[in-house]
Amino acid sequence: MRLAPLGELATRHAVAFRFRAIGDRVLVTNPEGRWLVLTADEFDAYTRDRVPADSPLHARLAGANFLADHYDLRAAVEMVRARKRFVHHGPNLHMAVVTLRCNETCVYCHASRADMDAVHTDMTREVAEQTVDFIFKTTSPFVTIEFQGGEPLVNFPVVQHLIEYALDKNRAAKKQLEFTMVSNLAMMDDAKLEYLLSKKVQLCTSIDGPAPLHDKQRVLPMASSYDHASRWIKRINDAYAAAGLDPTLYHVEALLTTTRATLPQWKEVVDTYVALGCRALFLRPIDPFGFAAKTGPKLEYPRREYLEFYRRAVDYMIELHGRGTEILERYAAIFLTKILGGVDPNFLDVRWPAGAGLGALAYGYDGRIFTCDEGRMLDAMGDDAFAIGHVATSKYRDVVGHETVRAVTIASNLDATPDCVDCTYQPYCGVPPSHSYKTQGTIFGRMRESALCEVYKGIQDYLFEKLATGDAATRATLERWTTHRPREHFLQDGATGSPGPGTKPVAPRP
Amino acid sequence: MASLPSIPGELASADVASGVVRLTVREELYPLDAVFAAAFTFIKDCWVVVDRADAAHWAIALTPKTAGANAELLEQWVGGFANELLACAYRHRLAKDHRATVEAVTAAALAGALGPPSLDELEDFDFSNEAFEDPLGIAMSWEDKYGKKAKAGDAAPAGSTDDDDGGAP
Repeated sequence: MRLAPLGELATRHAVAFRFRAIGDRVLVTNPEGRWLVLTADEFDAYTRDRVPADSPLHARLAGANFLADHYDLRAAVEMVRARKRFVHHGPNLHMAVVTLRCNETCVYCHASRADMDAVHTDMTREVAEQTVDFIFKTTSPFVTIEFQGGEPLVNFPVVQHLIEYALDKNRAAKKQLEFTMVSNLAMMDDAKLEYLLSKKVQLCTSIDGPAPLHDKQRVLPMASSYDHASRWIKRINDAYAAAGLDPTLYHVEALLTTTRATLPQWKEVVDTYVALGCRALFLRPIDPFGFAAKTGPKLEYPRREYLEFYRRAVDYMIELHGRGTEILERYAAIFLTKILGGVDPNFLDVRWPAGAGLGALAYGYDGRIFTCDEGRMLDAMGDDAFAIGHVATSKYRDVVGHETVRAVTIASNLDATPDCVDCTYQPYCGVPPSHSYKTQGTIFGRMRESALCEVYKGIQDYLFEKLATGDAATRATLERWTTHRPREHFLQDGATGSPGPGTKPVAPRP
Repeated sequence: MASLPSIPGELASADVASGVVRLTVREELYPLDAVFAAAFTFIKDCWVVVDRADAAHWAIALTPKTAGANAELLEQWVGGFANELLACAYRHRLAKDHRATVEAVTAAALAGALGPPSLDELEDFDFSNEAFEDPLGIAMSWEDKYGKKAKAGDAAPAGSTDDDDGGAP
């Protein structure tokens, strides 16, 4: 990318576009998130206002709303509105930690799990009811209750009670209600599964790759955690098929936590997911929360190595997809939905303003309320900066309007964040303030030093490279990854209309 | 401080032993916001100081965080900073020239996000009949304010100022 001397750069003809080199081309994005990839000569002509009015380049620039004289204000407004539709609702994702007890010991446990005899970390029936009462105060017509832990199956009676109580309450509230559960599945049995299927609880688990890697990182005493998880994935998928549900849409979702040991096994990881019948793979880097804060030196890695891993894995997934195997990478799908689809899938960790408090709330086993799951994890590490109330005593408006929620909302505004305000990827991005707080000591993150920013930029660089230079089949695959098919089976009876504004895909916590 | 081979000495100099490079840039060309934006992109790799060199120039000092900086590396930092500064200055101009449009689009897109006022807000509303100050007569009826021309000797209605007939005899 080359820029002319400052005196020769024009501005009045254009819009407030941002730009970034992508290989030997230049990516330009406008404020509402439309984009073009220009050659160096095209970029030079655009920045000097030397684009002939009858040229194809002029038509491209005008068509994508990059020219002031042809600026379509109404289209810009509609696109920004579509991208920010989540601000029109209250919190729709409600994460309930029904226990901290867990039967597995994960080397990176983000949730600061407790031993199996720590029964005092179980949510009581009374707190479960108070939690549901609080959840139903949300102004959002869409409610997803996500069971987390620890391992939620450890406190299954309270899970059942919470579900029954919520269903009963929803007869009057008539919210669009869904349940999801994040479980390692090792304590699943036929009776529990039958109940969860009958209540349409969407199940999600963790798979860290091939059995040796998974078992090494997710230790289940005297047994293979991989065997348990894979066996139940198959059982659940078979049950969906037996119920007449489309297996391409209804299957267990799994999530990966990438450690240093994962990096060379990119191909084995993808193959494992495909073999398990998973249609999506979420290549998440390790987070700095929970036990990972202590074990990090052994598990962590430079993010440039992660991005190499990511490129290899996704290249392979695109190749598999081209050969007819349905598999997508979740980060890519999130960003591509914003880039190609012009809407925001409302993944709470990649949006602005942040989802903390505005889009989601987390509830501890003791009834304390947090802006986000990461806030709850930080609390378990002794820092209650993101605690904003209690289900028994707090008013809804006091929680959602809490000064901490206001602070993270301001801190996550990329129009007011150094570097982000100039970043070409600003329309598609967002970093959770809790991550900046944990890694940098401030909710106002310094993005140049943020590992998460490096990851998000690297992924978007990769995607735009593919969009700019990939062949037609590659672009078709990336287009297909933006397809959103609502899983209406998981909506509770009585709910009407299309599923809500999207939620953070259920995120297994080890 | 020594000059760098391919960069004019009045723009940048380097202290290789200390691993620090200093630049001066013209204020009339580069607004402080652009200098800050460019400097910010270096905070991962360098310790950065921005200061005023004199009335017409900004001074920037970059000290790479890793040891072992040589003249070649320092020259790369200067070149990288110069390019980033140009990009930031251009972005700054674009943002400044089109700020009104961006704000209008954002405001229009987000209008309605607050929704209608809730009962809680209604509870806070002041329904009392207490008088409040109204020096411009905004809360007055048209008749009270302008309706009847005051007869000679009558007091002018509150809020009226000059003769409504424009001073006709």
